[in-house]
Amino acid sequence: MTDVHAPQSQPESAAAEDEAARSFALDQTGTAEGGSGTTSPPPAANAGWLRWGWRQLTSMRTALVLLFLLALGSIPGSVLPQQGSDAGAVQQYYASHPSLAPLLNHLGLFNVFAAPWFAAIYLLLFASLVGCVVPRTFRLVGAARTPPPRAPRNLARLPHSSTYSSALPPDAAVAGAAAILGGQRFRLRRSESDAKDHWVSAEKGYLREVGNLLFHLSLLGVLLSIAAGGLFGYKADKLLVQGQSFSDTVSALDEFHPGRLVSGDDLAPFSVTLNNFTANYIDSGESRGQPSNFDASVSYTSSPGAKPGTYHIRINDPLSVDSLKVYLIGHGYAPEFKVTGADGKVAYEEATPFIPANTGTFESDGVVKVPDASLGFMGVFEPTAFSANGTLTSIFPAADAPAVSLIGYYGNLGMNDGVPQSVYQLDTSGMTKLSGSPHLLTPGQTWQLPNGKGSITFVGVKQWVSLAITYDPGQVPALVCGILALAGLLLSFFVRRRRVFVRAVPAASGAGSVVTVGGLTRSDASGGFEEEFAELAAEIASAEPGNNSELPGA
Amino acid sequence: MFKAKRRTVVTVTAAAAVLLGGALAATLLTSGSSTASATNMVEYQAGQRPLAPNLTGKSLTGTSLNLSSYRGKVVVLNFWGSWCSPCRDEAALFAGLSQQDAPKGVVFLGDDVGDTPANALAFTSSQRITYPSFNDPGYAVVAQISQVVPVHDTPTTVVIDKTGHVVGTIIGAATYSELTTLLRDAAVTQ
Repeated sequence: MTDVHAPQSQPESAAAEDEAARSFALDQTGTAEGGSGTTSPPPAANAGWLRWGWRQLTSMRTALVLLFLLALGSIPGSVLPQQGSDAGAVQQYYASHPSLAPLLNHLGLFNVFAAPWFAAIYLLLFASLVGCVVPRTFRLVGAARTPPPRAPRNLARLPHSSTYSSALPPDAAVAGAAAILGGQRFRLRRSESDAKDHWVSAEKGYLREVGNLLFHLSLLGVLLSIAAGGLFGYKADKLLVQGQSFSDTVSALDEFHPGRLVSGDDLAPFSVTLNNFTANYIDSGESRGQPSNFDASVSYTSSPGAKPGTYHIRINDPLSVDSLKVYLIGHGYAPEFKVTGADGKVAYEEATPFIPANTGTFESDGVVKVPDASLGFMGVFEPTAFSANGTLTSIFPAADAPAVSLIGYYGNLGMNDGVPQSVYQLDTSGMTKLSGSPHLLTPGQTWQLPNGKGSITFVGVKQWVSLAITYDPGQVPALVCGILALAGLLLSFFVRRRRVFVRAVPAASGAGSVVTVGGLTRSDASGGFEEEFAELAAEIASAEPGNNSELPGA
Repeated sequence: MFKAKRRTVVTVTAAAAVLLGGALAATLLTSGSSTASATNMVEYQAGQRPLAPNLTGKSLTGTSLNLSSYRGKVVVLNFWGSWCSPCRDEAALFAGLSQQDAPKGVVFLGDDVGDTPANALAFTSSQRITYPSFNDPGYAVVAQISQVVPVHDTPTTVVIDKTGHVVGTIIGAATYSELTTLLRDAAVTQ
């Protein structure tokens, strides 16, 4: 996809450089690259069209456009409420935007990351990357194995060059230079031993191609990891009241979002019990009422009958069990009620989760459904109740002075007709109100319902937590690939491919030779080759006296 | 050169737009037809019936319950909760059949999930259900049987033959015909 070489043009030395830089430009000779693929016009024949289409798809430009679209397509996913993460917020959006919401839903904007158009973008991007990276991999491997090109004729016309005269004959001078270049881990190519022409080509910086290769392969690895996570992973939510436990089965979960290749039978058979939950709040100062700590103390078993363990789940400190993670994502209050029917028998006894309506004060709403006594209650729970001007409100999120205000109903709750109901909603269409105004209860208090319909006791307050269970097998590989991609990118940015040529011709005087050293690099963005070349040329030239001493009389 | 480049950008953008448009059309066409939640009966052929695990636990009144103690009888195992509307819908059928089929060696057993014993006993009393149920607030019994047959929804009904093998399951509220079909086939043991 990426060609990290910067184009460089120096017209006056174009001829020499063209030859010397021939396989530097490897990445531009390939059709998958931005260069040649884009300049050729669309062909007429059908097979040609397919070929042209494939080239377009695998061009860097298309990949960038798709990457941009992917980013653009993710925006609604973060701006609009999403079905997968917060179904309640989607419902609220429907309520507040009755005409816009169905349209957005049709466009898949409430479930962006599962929408076909979003899938189209990343599948095209994937195809584009694969189509680019795979052929490129072979070319890069080939490039890494080819020897440097032949030395150009006129080294003086290269961007960097220097000339010195040597007392040695041309072949010995070139051999000396080759020894020095070889000592500096340049890859060498020598002129044929019987040729009149004496030169050596040296090239360094193949690590750049390795980095390039690593980057592309890692990018592919990231995509594969994400795909694996999407196919084999799953997400689930579960609300758990203090003292309750649950086993990881589909019917026990409140929400279950399996990957494409996950069935309900694939769930890890762990179970979790919420022993205790504490939320601490700052009780003075400017940030009064802000939470300072959450701690869900749980015990768990990784499979039925396994040895139980305990853990404290905190924010950003999930429980790891069976290679999946259990996060704490929410909490609230569950007032405990005991309801007796008209016959005096207990018909309901349960800590009933109420949903926070105000996340600052934790004023919460909930319903109590007692179908077997034909009773239903709508309640508002105040953790720290405060009554002003006849209005009940909460002034602190902790349950310091809990109270619940209830409106009672008697009649048919509509639960016998088989249509599933939300446990957070009371269908009062078949019911009559028991009293005009709400009835306030504090823990331990009982409301004797009018007309002998029974009673309701506010027993006490428990807390609940909302747990998110995630299994993402692609998470660790994606991280590793991401790090490798970054490493590859850095390598390809900071390592330069550079070539040094040395050519020696017999001196005009007949004795010794004139040696020309030429240097060429591409994309010398960070600079430094000029100095490196100067040092190298000086080293090659200064090696001469040592050689001289082997040839007395010269 | 510049012209050719611009042409390519236009072409690529157009191609992407066409593909995205197609995907969008697919979204609009398919999003309306994805609800199919009719009851769902699965039946295993004789010889391929999975062996039910031995489910153990406490009943709603605190006594011990043990599935293997019903070996030799056909067991109808119903997963339910007092909070579950479809469970109320099918309750009368279960109450009636459990009494009618008792002389034929058919035993009914419940598994009360996500519930409290008080709520559940109010349910069984008002629905006139007399057979015992596991007290299973944390879905532990569901987890045990899920290793053999899927119990992915509440209610689910599992019919087990005299040898302890699963004849079939009904996911969602059971109907008379579904239940009698499984009971009839349960009589044919492998």
